[in-house]
Amino acid sequence: MSIFTDPKLGLIPGPFHNKLAEQNRARSWYDWVGYAAPGVLDSIEFEYFALRNQASLFDISPMHKYRLTGPDTTAMLNRLVTRDVRKIGLGRVGYAIWCDEEGMVIDDGTLFHLDENDWRLCCQEQMLTWLLDAAWGFDVSIVDETHSVACLSLQGPTSYAVLEAAGLDVSKLKPFDLIRIDPDLMISRTGFTGDLGYELWSDWDKAEALWDRIWKGGTHQGLRAIGYEAVNMARIEAGFLTAGVDFQPVHATERLHRGQTPFELGLDRLVDFDKGHFNGRRALLSKQDTPRSLLMRFDVEGFKPSEGSLIYNQRKKEVGHITSGIWSPTAKRNIALAHVRMPDAIRSSSLKAEIYTLQEGKWGTRMARLTPVAKAFFAPPRARATPPART
Amino acid sequence: MSQFDAIVIGGGVNGLVAGTLLSRRGKNVCIIEKSNRFGGMASYSVDGGPSLAHSLYNLSPRVLSDIGIDPQHPVLSGKPVSTVSLSEDGRHIVFKNEGIFWSEGTKHPESDAWTDLTQQLITYGGLLRQLAEAPPPGGQKAILSRGGLNEFLRLAKLGFGLKKLGKSEMRRFLQVVLSNVHDIVLDDLPEGPVAGMLAADAIWGSATGPRSPGTVFNLIYRLGHGGHITQPVGGMSALTDLLVEAAQKAGCVLMPETEVFRILLDDDAVSGVVTTDGRTLTAPTVLSNLAPKLTSRMTGPSVFDIETMRRVRNIRARGTAAKVNLRLKDGSLLPGLPDELARERLIYAPSVEHVEAAFNPAKYRQMSKAPVIEALKMQTADGASWLSTIVQYAPTDLEGGWTDTAKDQLAQIAVSTLNLALPGLKDHVTNTQIITPDQIENATGAPGGHWHHAEMSLDQLLTLRPANGMCRYSMGPKGLFQCGAATHPGGDVMGLAGRNAALAAMEATP
Repeated sequence: MSIFTDPKLGLIPGPFHNKLAEQNRARSWYDWVGYAAPGVLDSIEFEYFALRNQASLFDISPMHKYRLTGPDTTAMLNRLVTRDVRKIGLGRVGYAIWCDEEGMVIDDGTLFHLDENDWRLCCQEQMLTWLLDAAWGFDVSIVDETHSVACLSLQGPTSYAVLEAAGLDVSKLKPFDLIRIDPDLMISRTGFTGDLGYELWSDWDKAEALWDRIWKGGTHQGLRAIGYEAVNMARIEAGFLTAGVDFQPVHATERLHRGQTPFELGLDRLVDFDKGHFNGRRALLSKQDTPRSLLMRFDVEGFKPSEGSLIYNQRKKEVGHITSGIWSPTAKRNIALAHVRMPDAIRSSSLKAEIYTLQEGKWGTRMARLTPVAKAFFAPPRARATPPART
Repeated sequence: MSQFDAIVIGGGVNGLVAGTLLSRRGKNVCIIEKSNRFGGMASYSVDGGPSLAHSLYNLSPRVLSDIGIDPQHPVLSGKPVSTVSLSEDGRHIVFKNEGIFWSEGTKHPESDAWTDLTQQLITYGGLLRQLAEAPPPGGQKAILSRGGLNEFLRLAKLGFGLKKLGKSEMRRFLQVVLSNVHDIVLDDLPEGPVAGMLAADAIWGSATGPRSPGTVFNLIYRLGHGGHITQPVGGMSALTDLLVEAAQKAGCVLMPETEVFRILLDDDAVSGVVTTDGRTLTAPTVLSNLAPKLTSRMTGPSVFDIETMRRVRNIRARGTAAKVNLRLKDGSLLPGLPDELARERLIYAPSVEHVEAAFNPAKYRQMSKAPVIEALKMQTADGASWLSTIVQYAPTDLEGGWTDTAKDQLAQIAVSTLNLALPGLKDHVTNTQIITPDQIENATGAPGGHWHHAEMSLDQLLTLRPANGMCRYSMGPKGLFQCGAATHPGGDVMGLAGRNAALAAMEATP
């Protein structure tokens, strides 16, 4: 769903704006649903390596956050999302997707099971009207917390040590656990980088105090504030999808058939046909065995990032395109996420990406062989170890 | 093993038709009705007064033959009723098949123009009837399957029928079918009672005025079976008794005074119903004659998609017609009306403008001070004489609610309006019965007390009836069907919605 922001208003400051502005040497602000968000604060390389080798702070407050409470919340959520939320225990976080009546993905997000019949949904797209529609007939109240809950993403191998130094004990927190430290601060062991990391949720007006506390804790741990560019590299390495890039949120599409089913996005594991009815279930039952395309991970020949390239099969027929592609400094591979049409997606041994190159005013193309990769490009064991290592 | 092959919830006209048809095709069917008598809105009456519906004009012969009722049955062989437009100057206008006449017998100057226009609309109605006698087009059937071929042939027949009209007639059809009755009628007729009568016939039961788009379609719909009006012999309850008899003969189990509390589901398929008195009846197919919103309440919203529920709760149904029954002191003639017109359908609609002006207050939740009225004189079983009237507009959501004072006011308005054309009527009325749309809703469940459960407007017709995505009678879980007036082609004591739904259910579970 596109968000209209008043151009006269300009980009508005988020809860950590002062802190980010102090460090924003690159002055590379971009528009994240109306907020001024840093693309890069210093340089992508410094920030990326801080994320993978030390610790990084990234402001994710512009994410949309909705609080759902009331006796029917679990039932309402189970009709909304494709997985069985009854399996997300108290104090746990679950990744979920939700579909329209045709089984096309509307958005993905994380569900925080805060208390009995008390949940928070955190997602990229504006979702209030859809949630209100979904809650009709259920005893559920929905509060848009987007502009009242601030959130910092602390990611990287020393992030546990940073929290410890800041006086926050999260040693017992397993991946996808959450803990309420005090009424104003909740910490979840979640993130969008595939690395060890935490997300810290606080009151909007207590955001700066939180920043200062974490920043102080990070003094000896190489903590760095980072922008979106570095986060994007990390999430591609982890194989995570970005709405609007790797899939088209169906409510934001205007052309026919641009939506995608969970099966086409490789998210089969998130669809539970046995839990009872959920939105799009009947459509998905008929579509589960006939995906029109598949979202694939590729090892790309050479070193040129392949983003935006078209994919050809052996017979020189165009069969897809790369949605995200970078040179991965950690995996030391040229990696990409891509949509490939069926049936070429399942006989993908001879696919090639046509990468466009611009070198000092001269455009060229390079045909790069694509090798399918089954798992994430980078999934370090440190991300899952509990208690986590300090360095 | 289920007790029944199919359960029909709601024993109104469409429910009885659906159940009987399924039963005649070998299904073991049970029809459940909340009240103590079948017939739903058609035969609903208070204290033995005249029923809500008082005449027939759209009862489908195809339905009758499908449920084994002889179209020549004595109950259906009532005298055709002509329409009389009442005039304050006493020169009433009589509309007959052969033309229109002044009440004293001479031909009305607008007779030919009226006949031409009506005939034209009847021709269009005949073409569109083919669409009414089948589920709406656009099912996702392969064209080479039997169902797909039938659908294709039906559409081809409509196309061929249109073509046969000739180029200019076809152009005219396409021009008028979506238009408003105000413009189309006044193209061919001068403003006045003749035009007013057509305008009135285009708005009965709906929340529209003559200038509202789509009202020509409503008029064509009314003329869909030729436009002949009859009164069933023995009243509307005799007709519903006939339908009940047909259901029993076909082997349906009838359960009056039984209310369904919940529709049971098992793994996304219907498995039966639970009644309010705690009984469980099992069946793999349930047809609901209720409006979609009430049906969804019986399953809970969670078994439907979010979009479906959004559409269901946005279906427009705002009843605007009240029933006002005037008890007459005796069987004597109505004042100011010649003997031979006493039993015809009387209409008070002196002009198109009058009808439009009557609609205006309804937009703002007020009743019309100068309403449009249809009246039929009749005798009830107890020998009492009544003037059975439909008074429009009396919106269901009247500001301040339908208090006794408001009802009295409506009765006063109805009597004094008719008194303008029938001076002295006031003195004949000994008692009044007012059935407001909200009362109709309470008694029958019809949302807003709307005759069709859902406004018959262009955005809620054919494949969009009752709402996008549920036009093929099935709704949500496997085995759940809608068969009520909210579905294509609508209500009007026609029976086609019930018939089409039953055929759709047969097709899904042969």
